Amino acid sequence: MEKISGLKFHKKRNVAIVGAGMTLWRRRLLETGRELSYLAVKQALEEAGLTLDDVEAVVMGSAPDAFDGVHIKGDYLLDGAGGSDRPYVRVFVGGGTAVFAPIAGYWHVASGLFDVVLVVCEEKMSSVHPHAQTAFRNIWDPILERPLKPNLTWIFAMEMRRYMEVNKVKHEDIALVAVKNKKNALDHPCAQLPGRITVEDVLKSEPIALPVRRLDISPPSDGAAALVMVAEHLARHLTDEPVWVTGVGWCLDTTWWTNRDLYFPRYVAEAARMAYKMAHITDPRKQIDVVEPYDPFDYKELHHLEGLGLAKKGEAPILTREGVTERDGDLPVCPSGGLLGVGNPISAAMGVKACEIYWQLAYRAGKRQVKKEVTTGLCQAWGDLMQIGTVMIMSNKRP
Amino acid sequence: MMEKTTDPTKLRHWEGKIEAYWVYTSGKAGDYFFKRLKEEGKFTAAKCRKCGKVYFPPRIYCERDFEETEFIDVSGEGEVRSFTIARLDPYERELPKPQIYALIHIYGTDGSLIHLLGEVEPENVKIGMKVRPVLKPKEEREGRITDILYFKPA
Amino acid sequence: MMASSAPSSAPRAVKKMDWLRACPPYAPGTYVREEDIRGEKVTFIEDRPDLRYSWTAGQAISRFLNGLKEGKIYGVKCNKCRRIMVPPRVFCELCYKPIDEWVELKDTGTVLTFSISYVGPDAEPLPEPVIPAVIEVDGASPGMGILHILGEVKPEDVYIGMRVKAVWKDEKEREGAITDIKYWKPLEMRR
Repeated sequence: MEKISGLKFHKKRNVAIVGAGMTLWRRRLLETGRELSYLAVKQALEEAGLTLDDVEAVVMGSAPDAFDGVHIKGDYLLDGAGGSDRPYVRVFVGGGTAVFAPIAGYWHVASGLFDVVLVVCEEKMSSVHPHAQTAFRNIWDPILERPLKPNLTWIFAMEMRRYMEVNKVKHEDIALVAVKNKKNALDHPCAQLPGRITVEDVLKSEPIALPVRRLDISPPSDGAAALVMVAEHLARHLTDEPVWVTGVGWCLDTTWWTNRDLYFPRYVAEAARMAYKMAHITDPRKQIDVVEPYDPFDYKELHHLEGLGLAKKGEAPILTREGVTERDGDLPVCPSGGLLGVGNPISAAMGVKACEIYWQLAYRAGKRQVKKEVTTGLCQAWGDLMQIGTVMIMSNKRP
Repeated sequence: MMEKTTDPTKLRHWEGKIEAYWVYTSGKAGDYFFKRLKEEGKFTAAKCRKCGKVYFPPRIYCERDFEETEFIDVSGEGEVRSFTIARLDPYERELPKPQIYALIHIYGTDGSLIHLLGEVEPENVKIGMKVRPVLKPKEEREGRITDILYFKPA
Repeated sequence: MMASSAPSSAPRAVKKMDWLRACPPYAPGTYVREEDIRGEKVTFIEDRPDLRYSWTAGQAISRFLNGLKEGKIYGVKCNKCRRIMVPPRVFCELCYKPIDEWVELKDTGTVLTFSISYVGPDAEPLPEPVIPAVIEVDGASPGMGILHILGEVKPEDVYIGMRVKAVWKDEKEREGAITDIKYWKPLEMRR
């Protein structure tokens, strides 16, 4: 699939991230969506040393209106996101929004149109009843799939089984990812489900849709996260440690998911190829120091590591077993605790993906900071009906 | 090239519902506002510490400056900024009695509230008319906007 | 919009990185539980809207559904990439051109992947597990699957590569829906 090779990547200027913030993540929070956006933005602006007057445009990323239960959710959240009286746009690609919203913020600044852009993501999954899964009922084709009364976990279970079958991977190896991420989340102040569990706990937990069990899944959460992106000349004024965005990529695959072979995420590989080309990375395994792939399920971390080219097909479980992906390993993966440990508020997962890579590269992750020296980090998100891969590469070296 | 179906009886529809219901929490500011309305029958607004703009219904932040706000009391009296008279319900059936919806500017704030007007005939409603809220009796209040039954001419 | 030089709040004398060493520095937000809402410790509003839809099936799926009513599974063929696709569509999404002909497929297939589900659509627990599967239909190109349910088989006996056949409803009960196939049952068992 060489279609993407023709891209020219004309950009007007470099973009840096200078601040990030996130709220507590829990199954249910008292605050409304607007209040959550406000709390995250306030923290991000404090870190960047800016006020709302300095912000020129706002990008909001928020997943289906059906969760919050307010149509045209982007406009509803506007005043809490700081969007009053300034250019404001909402982007949405399902779970991929976690990294797609910063990519959209990147466009705003790299094109030369704006100097300071605020990127906000918010999600309130607790409003919909009887369960967050009810909103997901509408993701299925109404004629060919909904009459069979499917639950969204079916697709992931089928993808997991295909992955396990083709790559000959056992559930025990996949469960190691859940153990690692929940342990990493103990050091995150916003975490919803941190804890020390064992592989046996995962294998004995309640079956949801085999092979997926309860401890293999990330919980639905309420939460918000925010990032501040500025142009090159301003980054110097604001901080000694800006983190530069060096590569972005995004790619979608067809909705006819039953016509695809699920064991390898082709769309993630394409998005990664686009980002690597832009960032001049030829050997990802050696040149990327820390990575936050999207991990709503434990097998997804392995699936995405292979899609990103950081492990050969079938090699990711071996890396996990050998401890390479721990915080003190050679390629730390999900040092924040990821979605399995901290929570999964769909688009607001930006807080443990893009924001975490930023904090790691700025050496501000506190107890979560990885042991090795870091220069280049990668965050990736995935969403819809297993369709979208979004990738962003950041670096703390001056481009 | 495939020929198109032109016989309308051959084209199919699929009917369905989206079954979900929502439970919305009122938020930090909303919770404070509704609890006060329910327990004490008092109205709360929020004043920005920096620019002094007063928000009604209250919020925890000022959307202009992103500064915090402080809660202040207001009487709840106001004047009609605009109104409309509804004679049909959401399903286009005739209502037994026409309902008057009004945009009511609350005195002492920079905000307005949408609510019903009561104890007044539709032809007597004028823009600028002063109104006062009528609350449900304390035992019946639930902590929702419907705890205000309607606004009546002061 | 500001001028493209220093931000309006002037450059800091103290660089922000000095006082913030661990991020996020605090986690704002107030946790509430379902019991707090049901027990009315916090105020809330409940809304039950009535959302009803009538989706058109479109040209291709209408014909597919009519075929299901007759007891047949139809696919479509693109002469350029030579794929035979199911579920059918009016254009080939890879070649981006209209498809060329309808093809009748068999009602047997192979299991590509499956799951054993203990939850229903609203995440409620089910008394008996349901076995959804992606089934590659015979006659279509390799990898062309449809989503359906397996039946007449025990969960522990299902495997990838199992050959299955569709079990149809009685002719008078069929209405032109994907549920006209009740489920798919195994043709043979692995020894």
